[in-house]
Amino acid sequence: MKYRTPLAKARGLGAARSGTTRWWMERVTAAALIPLSYWLVKLVDLSATTPYAETRDWLAAPVNTVGVIAFVAAAFYHAALGLRVVIEDYVDREGSKIVLIWLVNLGAALLSLIALLAVFRTLQTG
Amino acid sequence: MTASYKIIEHAYDVLVVGAGGAGLRATLGMAEKNLKTACITKVFPTRSHTVAAQGGISAALGNMGEDDWRFHMYDTVKGSDWLGDQDAIEYMCREAIPAIIELEHYGVPFSRTPEGKIYQRAFGGMSTHYGKGRAQRTCAAADKTGHAILHTLYQQSLKHNAEFFVEFIVLDLIMEDGVCRGVLAWSLDDGSLHLFKAHMTVLATGGYGRSYFSCTSAHTVTGDGNAMVLRAGLALQDMEFVQFHPTGIYGSGCLITEGVRGEGGYLTNAEGERFMERYAPSARDLASRDIVSRAMTIEINEGRGVGRLKDHIYLHIEHLDPAIIHERLPGIAETSRIFAGVDVTKEPIPVLPTVHYNMGGIPTNYNTEVVTLKDGNPDHVVPGLMAIGEAACVSVHGANRLGSNSLLDIIVFGRAAAIRCAQLIKPGDAHKPLRKDAADRAIARFDKIRHAQGGRPTAEIRLDMQKTMQAKAAVFRTQSTLDEGIKAMAEIRASFADVSLKDRSLIWNTDLVETLELDNLLSQALVTISAAGNRKESRGGHAREDYPNRDDANWLKHTLTWLPGNQVKIDYRPVHLFTLTDEVEAFPPKERIY
Amino acid sequence: MAEFTLPKNSRVQKGKTHHAPAGVKNIRRFEIYRWDPETGDNPRIDVYELDAEHCGAMVLDAIIKIKNEVDSTLTFRRSCREGVCGSCAMNIDGKNTLACTKAIDSLPDTIRIFPLPHAQVVKDLVPDLNHLFAQYASIKPWIETQTPPPADSERLQSREDRAKLDGLYDCILCFCCSTSCPSYWWNSERYLGPAVLLQAYRWINDSRDENTGQRLDELEDPFKLYRCHTIMNCTDTCPKSLNPAKAIAEIKKLLLQRQEG
Repeated sequence: MKYRTPLAKARGLGAARSGTTRWWMERVTAAALIPLSYWLVKLVDLSATTPYAETRDWLAAPVNTVGVIAFVAAAFYHAALGLRVVIEDYVDREGSKIVLIWLVNLGAALLSLIALLAVFRTLQTG
Repeated sequence: MTASYKIIEHAYDVLVVGAGGAGLRATLGMAEKNLKTACITKVFPTRSHTVAAQGGISAALGNMGEDDWRFHMYDTVKGSDWLGDQDAIEYMCREAIPAIIELEHYGVPFSRTPEGKIYQRAFGGMSTHYGKGRAQRTCAAADKTGHAILHTLYQQSLKHNAEFFVEFIVLDLIMEDGVCRGVLAWSLDDGSLHLFKAHMTVLATGGYGRSYFSCTSAHTVTGDGNAMVLRAGLALQDMEFVQFHPTGIYGSGCLITEGVRGEGGYLTNAEGERFMERYAPSARDLASRDIVSRAMTIEINEGRGVGRLKDHIYLHIEHLDPAIIHERLPGIAETSRIFAGVDVTKEPIPVLPTVHYNMGGIPTNYNTEVVTLKDGNPDHVVPGLMAIGEAACVSVHGANRLGSNSLLDIIVFGRAAAIRCAQLIKPGDAHKPLRKDAADRAIARFDKIRHAQGGRPTAEIRLDMQKTMQAKAAVFRTQSTLDEGIKAMAEIRASFADVSLKDRSLIWNTDLVETLELDNLLSQALVTISAAGNRKESRGGHAREDYPNRDDANWLKHTLTWLPGNQVKIDYRPVHLFTLTDEVEAFPPKERIY
Repeated sequence: MAEFTLPKNSRVQKGKTHHAPAGVKNIRRFEIYRWDPETGDNPRIDVYELDAEHCGAMVLDAIIKIKNEVDSTLTFRRSCREGVCGSCAMNIDGKNTLACTKAIDSLPDTIRIFPLPHAQVVKDLVPDLNHLFAQYASIKPWIETQTPPPADSERLQSREDRAKLDGLYDCILCFCCSTSCPSYWWNSERYLGPAVLLQAYRWINDSRDENTGQRLDELEDPFKLYRCHTIMNCTDTCPKSLNPAKAIAEIKKLLLQRQEG
């Protein structure tokens, strides 16, 4: 590195020609989560206060099934994007950075699959 | 001596010293022509003082009404009080048009007319039909034209991969048998010394406004190139002509552009009178700068100054539409708020004539080659050396420069230097080796000043010089004050032998930088005041109370000053009262009325 | 990981105190960061007590007075002294600004002065700006066209299009903004920072330039551009009252527009 010119360092590897989608989806999911939070709040509320069957019936209504699934997808997508930004900001070592980002992505994918499975299993119990 | 300093050697086709508008335009031109060029500069290029130029750059484009470069030439000759060389003025005014078009093509963000052309405003001394009408000739980028041009030139230099040595202090020219072979420079970043060899050295080091106490110039405006030329045993020309800008902010000296008056601003005295109508009935507030500065000084001297001490003048623009101020004069609104506490849309700006520009400098021909008087030949070319911009005295400004002609000067002659170098030098021409002792004198001076252990701090000597120049070589001059000033300056300069520094380091030793600059300023101050004492007439920026008239019979000539040792030597060069081509006829001297 | 503490040899120590001469009534206290590369000593804070009655109005006037009358070894950049050259950018009372346009009266009795944050210090208040200038050069800050300009006249530009450059071309490259940006502190190797992005937008937004698409290509990168998290320190600190945050937002908008719009 020592003998590289300042311009070579400034140019680095050049532009990735990407980032816009992620930046935009972070905002889209953030905006989407505002209305979608209704289903989270409602689901948590029902789970805590009403019998299982009633909650299940609520969940079985198509609008609520879609609402909960959409919330799960948006929330984990948003979380993965957000955590990625934190890692990019604060982790300097390229290797660790890539590994951490993919751990976050895999974790988010796994957790959202688990959440979806939970939804479908709940519906099946009817 | 050389043993104690490590010296790094370089060889280039061309060296440009200074990265203001002139230096950058030259560097860029050289790079375009494939000459291996190094631009050596003591500040990062966009920090150079061209950045502070506000009002604009003149060229007879005719975007805002009829115009012709011959009118521009006439105005410049008249503005110079006929001391300008008319061949060079013809060259500048004719080349102005392609040079400004080229600047626009480089990307300068000029303000625009409704038709999308470059906006042009009125400026002092600019007329049509040889003084009959008022010209709108000054191309502007709001009131930040210098900034716009300097940044654009730097950008173009980047585009052309020009090579810069930034924060390098050039110490001296390397002269061998009357030929300039390069320069010795000191790198602030790591403290190393560098010996640059070149076929041509172009000095673009600007003026020396800081020899005065109150000036519009930056702290870095110390005329280092001029002083190097004096040390090389060459002459400076017309150093007595120092321009006082009519409108420096009272107190801080910050510049308020003449464009303010071009956009309709005007000056008043304590009685609220627009006094310029008495001094210049037709041009009024847009008379040339020497006339306006003198008028303001007379008003103040006769007790009609404004303020508690009745020692300044008001500049008004509060009658202008705030939208126009916002669009065309945003910078001066900001500067007035910060440095005078004034809201220009409501109150007048307190102003005072302030040292602004040096018409004098290194004598050159219109090809920018440095000339000197040798064996009776007043146009003897000094091989290997060029000068451009405020450092040079081509002379296109003669005894008084017109506003917006200095940005033009730097662009046209920066460009001319590159054109001339391309004619003189083949890229990659072999270099003769330098003599072993080539840099010894320069290093000795550097080492001596670096280790100076006298009794007077740099700042103290500098203040003495600045106060002396301010008091004794002011807007109005008389023999007795000038003689006192010459004596005082000689003593102050002698006291430099007793200078003392605290910082002996080599990396970013600004104590040493300022002391080297002071040495440079002292020699220029001395030749300036000596030349002023010598010229017994009033012409342009040189106003003598004891010789109130211009005297063409005896003084229509350029002053040359040398400084071998402590004694100023004076001689003369004839003024070029002829043109370059037959596209225009020379303008014979006549009375100068605005 | 990002570093949150200074290495041992960068820890700032107590330095010398230069008291005001006896009898001075209106004393202003300046605490100034000092570091000399040639001694190998740790940086220190020197204290200078100054007679405010006999000093110019601006912080630059004060530090020049210190250099002239008290301690000529104090090292800083300065040139135009009117806020247009960008030399004297430094951190004054916790905020990056130009010393030449910062009034002493607008500051508390004790004024703390440091070099621009998170830049390598060359000496005292002089930071190394080479990387910033190189980043500036990397965005090709010059007009790029393929269509030849008219041979004997200027390119035309409407007044409306020219007005779009206001607040962009006037940047003085002092880098107060970039060095105030936490995101730039953590990722200056790759993030271009507000000053350089403002300049990038200046050319994207110039109606005469023909390379808008390529310029956007060169910026579209998670690091070069998208490290901006709209913290807004840049706009808050700009001594010329420019708005780099808005310029960055405009670039993002254009990228979105060409992709989604």
